Amino acid sequence: MKSTRGMTLILAMLLTSSVLVAGCSAMTKTTSAASASDASQTVTDSTKAAAADDSLAKVKTAGTLILGLDSAFPPMGFMNDKNEIVGFDIDLAREVTKRMGIELKLQPIDWDSNVLELNSGNIDCIWNGFSISEERKAEVNFTDAYMQNRQVVIVRGDSGITALADLAGKTLCLQAGSSAADALASHADFKASLKNVVELSDNVTAFMELEGKTSDAILMDEIVAAYYITQNNKDYKILDESLADEQYGVGFRLGDQSLRDEVNNQLKAMAADGTLAKISDTWFGKNVTVIK
Amino acid sequence: MNFNVSLSAMDYSSMVSFLLEGTVKAVELFFLTIVLSLPLGLLVARLRLSKIMVVQIPIKLYLLIMRGTPLILQLMFFMFFPPLVLGIPVDRFTVAVFSFTVNYAAYFAEIYRGGIESIPVGQQEAAYVLGLSPLQTFMRITLPQVVKRIIPTIANESMTLVKDTALASVIGVTELFRNAESMKATYFSVVPIAVAGLFYLIMNSVVAAFYSRVEKKLNYYKG
Amino acid sequence: MPMDEILSVSHVSKSFGELDVLKDMSLSVSRGEVVSVIGPSGSGKSTLLRVVNQLERAESGLISVCGRVLCQNDDKGHAVYADKETLKSIRLSIGLVFQSFHLFPHYSILKNITEAPVLVLKKSREEAEDTARELLKKLGLSDKESAFPYQLSGGQQQRVAIARTLAMNPQMIFFDEPTSALDPELTGEVLKVIRSLADEHMTMVVVTHEMAFAGELSDRIIFMDQGVIIEEGAPEAVFSSDHERTRQFLQHYSK
Repeated sequence: MKSTRGMTLILAMLLTSSVLVAGCSAMTKTTSAASASDASQTVTDSTKAAAADDSLAKVKTAGTLILGLDSAFPPMGFMNDKNEIVGFDIDLAREVTKRMGIELKLQPIDWDSNVLELNSGNIDCIWNGFSISEERKAEVNFTDAYMQNRQVVIVRGDSGITALADLAGKTLCLQAGSSAADALASHADFKASLKNVVELSDNVTAFMELEGKTSDAILMDEIVAAYYITQNNKDYKILDESLADEQYGVGFRLGDQSLRDEVNNQLKAMAADGTLAKISDTWFGKNVTVIK
Repeated sequence: MNFNVSLSAMDYSSMVSFLLEGTVKAVELFFLTIVLSLPLGLLVARLRLSKIMVVQIPIKLYLLIMRGTPLILQLMFFMFFPPLVLGIPVDRFTVAVFSFTVNYAAYFAEIYRGGIESIPVGQQEAAYVLGLSPLQTFMRITLPQVVKRIIPTIANESMTLVKDTALASVIGVTELFRNAESMKATYFSVVPIAVAGLFYLIMNSVVAAFYSRVEKKLNYYKG
Repeated sequence: MPMDEILSVSHVSKSFGELDVLKDMSLSVSRGEVVSVIGPSGSGKSTLLRVVNQLERAESGLISVCGRVLCQNDDKGHAVYADKETLKSIRLSIGLVFQSFHLFPHYSILKNITEAPVLVLKKSREEAEDTARELLKKLGLSDKESAFPYQLSGGQQQRVAIARTLAMNPQMIFFDEPTSALDPELTGEVLKVIRSLADEHMTMVVVTHEMAFAGELSDRIIFMDQGVIIEEGAPEAVFSSDHERTRQFLQHYSK
């Protein structure tokens, strides 16, 4: 009797855990890093997509494009003082959807789950200062780059630091899991020269460390840095030397080629007729867009 | 760079109103979870005490998984497993309520079970001998006493639930914590976080006061 | 079964795992009789009461209560129990008072007494409360009707337990060591109640250690040891018995 009961219990646990593992691996499959099989999968997907891709049709029928963002990322997508979601990316998206003749719906998501949200159909695109990278291209179908960005170092105005070399033996902080972290990883020498690298949950905390002199420098997106410095009138400086150049793109599901192409074409049209430059001017005082 | 879109320094009324919106969401999440998980937990407790193996083993497995894995992972599982693997679309607030309910029901089930097993079996024997049916015995004799015994523990769990509503932010529910994070980015300040903390404290003070009243009301007898 | 036989236990056996607690036990009680059961602990006295009151199941034997069969043997000698309705009606015709009273702590004294009549006998609350108040008056506990068990002494609680049983109008009442959990000065009030029930010709089986009381009140005394009846008979006969084990046991009790 005892052994039968034990066996049943073990079997039940195995069954459930295998279901869970299957589920988790199904989820992680969609977010795994690039590999040979995945690359060929992507090729197959897009050829399949070209043949039978109704992503654009679906969105037009629904009459809405759902944009996923972390609404705490000024100036690309954030809350203004009237508690509305605004931002450079939002303005671009509004113009694009206006031209497509559909509505724009803004869906706040948890940034760490952005690709999961995309693949599960909760959102149609990721449009939130989304940096294009080789790893991400394996999971996400990007438009052409629409904006240039750099990973730059910010220091206190009175620190006397003017070049990356001056940071030897000092403490640098950045947002964990961001492209800043990736940029630093690819500059091994510079990283090694630092006394300490502190990973924080977000950039506001990073600025608090800089202010409180717990850290000597922050590595982050130039766009966001410039925004914070201007908004808050801080005496911080951005070093000329940058660590990485990157570009922002809009991310779609791998199979949604027709939708991606439509948005891409709209952006190009906006570049051609000067709308893009106008929006950029409103936010940044100059044209920082790169779409031609 | 020059930004022409200006932001007034800390517009308190709009920041607080946005946090209040998040608080309302958190309160909705709390109430729905409590209302659903308390009865569900009782049902699970009864099933757990069943002598039928086919019933008892899956229940024990459910209890193990729910209490043995992080709630935050469970939230993500229920949010992304259905659409990605089963092709079923889900609504994020519904997922949050479902996930919290199913998780807290497991904790409540074990609390109920402990309470039920602490009632002296002699009372059930006395009821049996007097002719009460098992259902009558459970509903009128056992359960009322169990409720009184478990109130302090249920109060604890409820206060934890109020704080756990913050976890719903990982599946994009715009509750208090997420809204506070947004405000933090908007105003480049941690004041919204502090205000959110205050709101959680107020919510839990209400919860604590409520259970305290219930305890007092049930104190008309000892034993 | 004789006309006035109210309880018949015939060759009943009960074991808990390896332990044989009742071994081929037989006894019979007539209507209006008061029978005391005495014996050392572990002799099976409580188990006997619990089996008759359906708190335990006998393995073999015949038990019949108030003319209805509770259980009887099949052709393999295993006890087969009656259907649910019969079992329930048997349960309602007898009562059991526990050593630890087991009142319902969350009910007032009044409600403790009225709950079963209302729920099971479907009496109206008013009717049940009237009966309850009469019982409390008889027992001298009228002023306690709104109190809760925790506010009463052990003796008072046990008297309430007896009232609770009486409210169901049983044809016989079993007492499982009704005074063993009480302080000595409180046993008197409970014994007084049992005595008055005997005066009213209530059929009773009382498991007790109170030898004086047993001797004074009982029509018959049964001495049990290790699951069997060693002796039974009128009190004088049992108390002056020549039987080895009976004498050994009675030595511990002074009259």
